[in-house]
Amino acid sequence: MNLINIKAVSRKEFYHLIRDFRSMYLAFIIPLLLILMFGYALSLDVDNVKTMVVDHDRTELSRDFIRKLDASSYFKVIYHLRDTVAAIRYLDQGSTTMAVVIPPGWTEDIKADREAQMQVLLDGSDPNFASLSRGYITAFVEAYNRDRFIDFLNRSGKERIEPPVDGRIRVWFNEDLESQNFIVPGIIAIIIMIVGAMLTSLVIAREYENGTMETVRSLPIRGGEFLIGKAIPYFLIALTDVLVAVFMGQVLFGVVMKSSFWLMVLASTIYISVALSLGLLISIATKSQLVANQIAILVTFLPSMLLSNFVFPVENMPKVFQLLTYIVPATYFIDILNGLYLRGLGLDHLWPSYLVLVGMLVVLSNIGFAILKKEGM
Amino acid sequence: MPGYGNDCSGNTDSPLLGTPLVQLEDVSKHFGLIEAVSHVSLQVESGSIFGLVGSDGAGKSTLLRMVATMIKPSSGKIVIDGLDVMSQKMRVKPLIGYMPQRFGLYQDLTVGENIDFFMDIFGIFGAERGKRRERYLGFSNLLPFVDRLAGALSGGMKQKLGLACVLVHQPKVLILDEPTNGVDPVSRQEFWDILGEMRQGGMTILISTAYLDEGEKCDHMGLMHKSRILGIANPEEFRSHYPNLEEAMIHRIKEVDEGLIYDRFGL
Ligand SMILES: Nc1ncnc2c1ncn2[C@@H]1O[C@H](COP(=O)(O)OP(=O)(O)O)[C@@H](O)[C@H]1O
Ligand SMILES: [Mg+2]
Repeated sequence: MNLINIKAVSRKEFYHLIRDFRSMYLAFIIPLLLILMFGYALSLDVDNVKTMVVDHDRTELSRDFIRKLDASSYFKVIYHLRDTVAAIRYLDQGSTTMAVVIPPGWTEDIKADREAQMQVLLDGSDPNFASLSRGYITAFVEAYNRDRFIDFLNRSGKERIEPPVDGRIRVWFNEDLESQNFIVPGIIAIIIMIVGAMLTSLVIAREYENGTMETVRSLPIRGGEFLIGKAIPYFLIALTDVLVAVFMGQVLFGVVMKSSFWLMVLASTIYISVALSLGLLISIATKSQLVANQIAILVTFLPSMLLSNFVFPVENMPKVFQLLTYIVPATYFIDILNGLYLRGLGLDHLWPSYLVLVGMLVVLSNIGFAILKKEGM
Repeated sequence: MPGYGNDCSGNTDSPLLGTPLVQLEDVSKHFGLIEAVSHVSLQVESGSIFGLVGSDGAGKSTLLRMVATMIKPSSGKIVIDGLDVMSQKMRVKPLIGYMPQRFGLYQDLTVGENIDFFMDIFGIFGAERGKRRERYLGFSNLLPFVDRLAGALSGGMKQKLGLACVLVHQPKVLILDEPTNGVDPVSRQEFWDILGEMRQGGMTILISTAYLDEGEKCDHMGLMHKSRILGIANPEEFRSHYPNLEEAMIHRIKEVDEGLIYDRFGL
């Protein structure tokens, strides 16, 4: 290994990169867009649902209900309206997504032990959002009922009554059930594949297509030096992208790493290297930018996209796909990131995934070296 | 018949010729069933220009690529400055400057960045770096264009930049594959002027060309046809038996095509 040669190739590759609009776009703009887009669009969590209330009952109790509704973090009462017609108009405009209508005589029904009904109008144009909102309002009403019941018993009975069995679901690891907690690791895995594999799949094919490979091969430079030199600029960019993604995940979406930051950097370093060797290998093997790009999308980008649970959960996929995930590097990387992000695990639990990634790196890079050597480098 | 090249090593009048620096012994190259180079033996003497003249498909590029360590001969032996090209590739490479037929410059790099890349690889740094840059870009009149992208140069300028790049580490042996193909006459002349100067400085040059007038500028020329070297002589010798070089060539090629002779060139 000759460091001078590696530096020479890196410097040259860096010039190619900054002069190529498409590469710059893939390296910097796309990752940023991905973070913002997925972060917002896919944050499926519902909070502060803009809610209108139509209170026909106008009693102490109905006002209490509305006050509690507004106080909950899931709902934000923004309009108090006179009738349902106005509520429907606002729903149509899209300025709010939910209306709660309390009919006249609601309190009386409750006091008389009759079934007290209430109407909820939901904007169903985003089914996901609507179903979540429905779940929240149902849960809210149940909780309200329970509180009322206990309150009633406590006041009428002589001794305090313990609440009946209170079934609550405790969600481990992603306790606030926020989807961006799952999404940030996925975004990082995808960004690395875009920068690491899709970009680099072009770089050696480009040398073949432009006839510069013949020039390079005539120079006293070894295949390994050439590959490492080529990879360095992309490595730095990918790592920068990862750090930006982590930072933005924290600042914009409040996704905080539970475990060590440096373990994340280590995992990213190994995974980026895997992606780079894969991209370079594709480039060497195909020698054509067009073919290389398509293969790169097929074997690197798509699998990490599918595996990152962006499209649908892996456990819902056909068995064959589930088995396929074992040979896809993203599986292990996402596994590590989920461990670090959500569970606060350390190397003592995650080392097998690290090891698999290192193994993949060794295999892929050696195949690349071997092919270049066969080509006479 | 081995050693066409030996025939003319003694009877030359060039004062600069010395010991053979590049030696090919019975070199052949097959691509599957195609025999691109067939039993070629030749020697290039130190400080001389050897021209490989032949039409398209004759096997010139294949021959030069073997000398330049790019591909391995199927059989035979190539020695440059006492080093075996096959087994000591990494030691041979610094000795040679090779400009392929389709010389790949980095089009998106400037003239200066292209030559810098070559200097980086050959470890030319410090004060020497500036001097070499000045010298070789100056030779090729490219100094005013250092900041221009190589892709924006004319064909002739590109070839001269290519030459500057392969010269910048001051190789002992320069291998050029049809460097002036498609280049305008003025640039061609300039190109050959540079080669002349390099030769004066003691550089050994192996060049292929399809132009006969360029063959005449060489100290020796080898006529290549259908994968074989039909003869090696200096241009005067070629001419001596015919009114001009062109006729000599055509005559010789015809003879071989008709399967008439396999002996030495017209003598
Ligand atoms: N890499 C290769 N694979 C297969 N055939 C080749 C290859 N390179 C050259 N040839 C064949 O070898 C012959 C000589 O080609 P070449 O050396 O390029 O001739 P020239 O440079 O004189 O035009 C041609 O028939 C060509 O098709
Ligand atoms: Mg050729």
